[in-house]
Amino acid sequence: MPRVTRALQQSYPRFIRSSPGSYRINKAIASAEAIASTQRRRVQLVGRHGAFISRTSSGYEEEEDDQQRTSYLNELKGASAKSAYTKDFQQQIDHAKVIAVKDNFVTERLPTTCASSILNGFTGNAESTVCRILQEVGMDIAGKTNMDEFGMGSHSQNSAYGPVQNGFGKNAQSPGGSSGGSAMAVADGIVSIAIGSDTGGSVRLPAAYTGTVGFKPSYGRISRNGLVPYANSLDTVGIIARNTNDVMALFQILDKYDPADPTSLRPESRTRIHEARRKRQVDFGHHYLESEDVKFSFVGPRSKGETPAETSMPRDRYKRYTSGYLRRIGVPNEYNIAEMHPVVRQAWLRTLSMLANKGHTIVPISLPNTKLALAAYYVLAPAEASSNLAKYDGVRYGTPRDLSTADNENGLLYANYRGEHFGEEVKRRILLGTFTLSAAAKDNYFVQAQKVRRLVQQDFNNVFAFGHPLLPHTRHQNSSSDRTVDLIIVPTAPTPPPKIQDLEGQSPVQSYINDVFTVPASLAGLPAISVPAAADEDIPATPDRHVGMQVIGQYGDDLNVLNFTRYDIEGTMNFDEARELTWSRKRM
Amino acid sequence: MLQRWTAGRFLRLPRFARFDLTPEALNKRIPQRRLLSTTKSPNAELAPLRKQLKDAARADRTARHAGVKATCTSKAETLSQWELTVGIEIHAQLNTSVKLFSYASAEYNEHPNASSWPFDLAVPGSQPLFQPAVLVPALRAALALKCQIQSRSKFDRKHYFYHDQPAGYQITQFYEPFAKDGRLVLTPQDGLGHKDDDTIEVGIKQIQLEQDTARTQEQDEHTSLIDFNRSGHALIEIISLPHLHSPEAAAAYVRKVQSILHAVDATTTGMELGGLRADVNVSVRRTDDRSARHSYSGVTGLGQRTEIKNLSSFKAVEDAVRAERDRQISVLEAGGVVEGETRGWSLSSPGITRRLRGKEGEVDYRYMPDPDISPLYIDESLVTHFQRTLPPVPEQLLDMLCTTYGLTIDDSRALLSLDDGTRLLYYQDVVSRLYTDTAQPRPSVQAANWVLHELGALLTTASTVWSPDLVDAQQMADLIVLQRENKITGPSAKRLLRILFDGDKSSVAEIVRREDLLFISMTNEEYDELAARVIGEHQAEADAVRQGGKRSSGKLKFLLGQMMRHGGRNRVQAQKAEEVLQSKLKPNDV
Repeated sequence: MPRVTRALQQSYPRFIRSSPGSYRINKAIASAEAIASTQRRRVQLVGRHGAFISRTSSGYEEEEDDQQRTSYLNELKGASAKSAYTKDFQQQIDHAKVIAVKDNFVTERLPTTCASSILNGFTGNAESTVCRILQEVGMDIAGKTNMDEFGMGSHSQNSAYGPVQNGFGKNAQSPGGSSGGSAMAVADGIVSIAIGSDTGGSVRLPAAYTGTVGFKPSYGRISRNGLVPYANSLDTVGIIARNTNDVMALFQILDKYDPADPTSLRPESRTRIHEARRKRQVDFGHHYLESEDVKFSFVGPRSKGETPAETSMPRDRYKRYTSGYLRRIGVPNEYNIAEMHPVVRQAWLRTLSMLANKGHTIVPISLPNTKLALAAYYVLAPAEASSNLAKYDGVRYGTPRDLSTADNENGLLYANYRGEHFGEEVKRRILLGTFTLSAAAKDNYFVQAQKVRRLVQQDFNNVFAFGHPLLPHTRHQNSSSDRTVDLIIVPTAPTPPPKIQDLEGQSPVQSYINDVFTVPASLAGLPAISVPAAADEDIPATPDRHVGMQVIGQYGDDLNVLNFTRYDIEGTMNFDEARELTWSRKRM
Repeated sequence: MLQRWTAGRFLRLPRFARFDLTPEALNKRIPQRRLLSTTKSPNAELAPLRKQLKDAARADRTARHAGVKATCTSKAETLSQWELTVGIEIHAQLNTSVKLFSYASAEYNEHPNASSWPFDLAVPGSQPLFQPAVLVPALRAALALKCQIQSRSKFDRKHYFYHDQPAGYQITQFYEPFAKDGRLVLTPQDGLGHKDDDTIEVGIKQIQLEQDTARTQEQDEHTSLIDFNRSGHALIEIISLPHLHSPEAAAAYVRKVQSILHAVDATTTGMELGGLRADVNVSVRRTDDRSARHSYSGVTGLGQRTEIKNLSSFKAVEDAVRAERDRQISVLEAGGVVEGETRGWSLSSPGITRRLRGKEGEVDYRYMPDPDISPLYIDESLVTHFQRTLPPVPEQLLDMLCTTYGLTIDDSRALLSLDDGTRLLYYQDVVSRLYTDTAQPRPSVQAANWVLHELGALLTTASTVWSPDLVDAQQMADLIVLQRENKITGPSAKRLLRILFDGDKSSVAEIVRREDLLFISMTNEEYDELAARVIGEHQAEADAVRQGGKRSSGKLKFLLGQMMRHGGRNRVQAQKAEEVLQSKLKPNDV
């Protein structure tokens, strides 16, 4: 234990052991930079823990001076003295709606690099739909967060602009990937909420490793327009926040049809989903409060001891809700793998027993094709990636081509340029995808993987009581037989976050195994959220023991997943106590 | 948001200098040249056009000086032992106002790089938005080629790296095209070879929608300039079955496809302007050899084929097929083996095809379903609508002119081919204003004579470009009616047309009155009297006619001319007058 505590001290001096005052100031700087955005400039910098690639700045270079920062702080103090929430600096900062966005969303004011050297200096000329909506509702984009190059990685180490780390030195641990920068920006308290992208677990894994909440909606609910694709058929826009309430508040803002995205769920399909869910509620006499106006927990004050869910709705409704609706929760046998770390297994059991105590029914289920899912994912995603990344040739944008990367005499066109500017992992996956799509290998790899994908989807359709609302021939029996479930709960990752130095000896395949629990939901396009698991009361919760629990729902059942998570997992006292012990949410 | 991508805003892509193509001028106009330029690949195909033309001229001269030894004398015998088989892929630019997957304008006269949306430049984060408008010309083309429209089709990505392919892949319909199983019938009138059967039915395997590439322009040895306006424009690729067996038939097929596409308004330009390009697949086998083991889409027993890419004229199609046939035969006769390979054809070396890449160097296109584009569902009612409103193809029109209108085949062809079909429309307009009667010749035939020949002669003399407004259709119809009713004589009618052609917009009746063109027929007595008078004045000629012999017909014409002159304007009908003269000047019976 002492060793762990020391590690904490070294890793997170400002947050854990330094005075509350200095924490606030650090936090204030970060937010003030975003708030005082009258004279924005693009500053290339790698933020604390390497979370940012580029940030909006209030007009100074990062290394320039503290003096100027101080004056901004004073300005802020002056402003806060006049504002409605004068008592505490914290409230003023919380009030600011500052958001961080992963660097694979195109923004007009900041460069978009996808953490790749090949897109160094590229600034798109159209805002991605997500960023446009964020700004329309009055949010400020604090910066673009670091990631694995083009989203390819599970630890945010494959960035051309330096890795993201949770902690420092030899104790630094993996923040997860590929949206590691977004997760760290939230965990560090720089922002309250961040946008990531989830292809095979890229939002859920970082959330699990950093003790934050990460949500991947159903495929097609949030527009991908302006999201630089890794694997189009799997990519979703994800949200990382400190609690599910905030995730849900932002999700309801972003959950819109976008005509610019050809894969965006069309209004007719949204209506069908809505009708199917409403019918199910009526059939069962459930009263879930799904469409209520969820407010951000960081906007405005709340009284001590209130959970975010309580803040955002009247107390009587909350009571009625939490006592009214008990779910059938599926626990798939196939996820209980031998490689699972004991800490993870215990957290899983703890969470399930907590839910059982609340009256939910735990149902053992089987998802037989789970084992094949990971292999299928690592065929399909690189195949699409090899196609998507073919456009980076330096002719139209990105790092300019020079003589050393010009077309040479051997009939090579872009090989030199691409070889020089893509990172190792990207090259590996491009090669992998090129191979699996080649005429000789395609039938054995790409075509087979697509079949597996269909089987994985069928697995889920077989266990959910709620039939897939967009497939004509799936069950709409809406009966709660012994075998069907409302939601599935599994761990997000088989282990707690690894140390970065331990990653170095890993083979790529070992690193791919990290995604084994997150990939099935991605292949089936299902909504899934990772929340910190209830802590063990006997052992202090430390960052190296972060475990994420994943709640998976049927396609289109996003609000059910979110509501269940915020009321039945986060909403318990047990959970709240656990969170008090987690460093990244320690309140001042 | 999308509307904000206006021309020129994105990346401030520089434009080509339109007229001044000197490097200095280009540098001035292109501040970020790297955006457009790439260093050149060692591909001789990309030689500047001027150089190509020069080389072509030189090669032509050399060939002539050498006495054209290329075609050997014993060829006819050799050829009879071989059977040639050709299949053709035609790429045609569809007549649409938008691109296949973006709202960018598909106009060709835009400044370079002025009409490209992010998706056409493969900008990260941009997505394809299928434009249903492209289905209009695509469906017309497919229906005109008698294809089965598929209710569900899909888009695939075809991968290869080239400067003119911004995304690194082309979106096409490889696995599930929108149209299948069409056919086209070639007849001798289409210009078949003498060895061909009377009619050839060419099967069309499929028609697929796909994206066009960007246009490349060579600036100097090291730099290519790229114009992305064409990038993403909608094309159809028409893939024929290997049903063609002569170079002439191959060219006739391409020519006919072009005329059909044009007739149903599916394309804007033809081969001459680059709107149509063809790839030909050529194979040969011995006539008596049934053991050839290659096959294509159900056609078996074929020899090894080679593909010649990017042919841009009918002549090039014919010449390239002929040259490749001769090359394959000579390879096989020398005991060699034809390699499956891709070959090129260029103006600079007429008469030979040139190896581009062999099978081992063949590109693996790694076809993959495009994950961003949902399948295309075409409703039956849409197909029915286009089927019903499909403009007639040239063959149907030819048939209509010959049977319904009673025109000769030559006149029908001429009407079809003239002035982009507007002359035909004018002709139909004129005919529709005439009434029908039982008199001969039929009004439609007479109208064709006026519209085609009389008006044509005036156009030629005046070197004027045709326009339906030159002579109003109603005026033309009035003229024809007057003549049919014998109210004006032939010469008067011609004079009247001349007046109308020169721009007189008064009514025909008005002009006839003003110019005193009306024909008032004479009685038989008047004719007799006139004839007697003329004979009296020209006894010598009359005698010559009476005597008969060589010069009699010339003299008769002279007397006729005198009758016309003396008879007063527009009154003497030549035919009648001649009859009277002949009866009066019967050769002296012995």
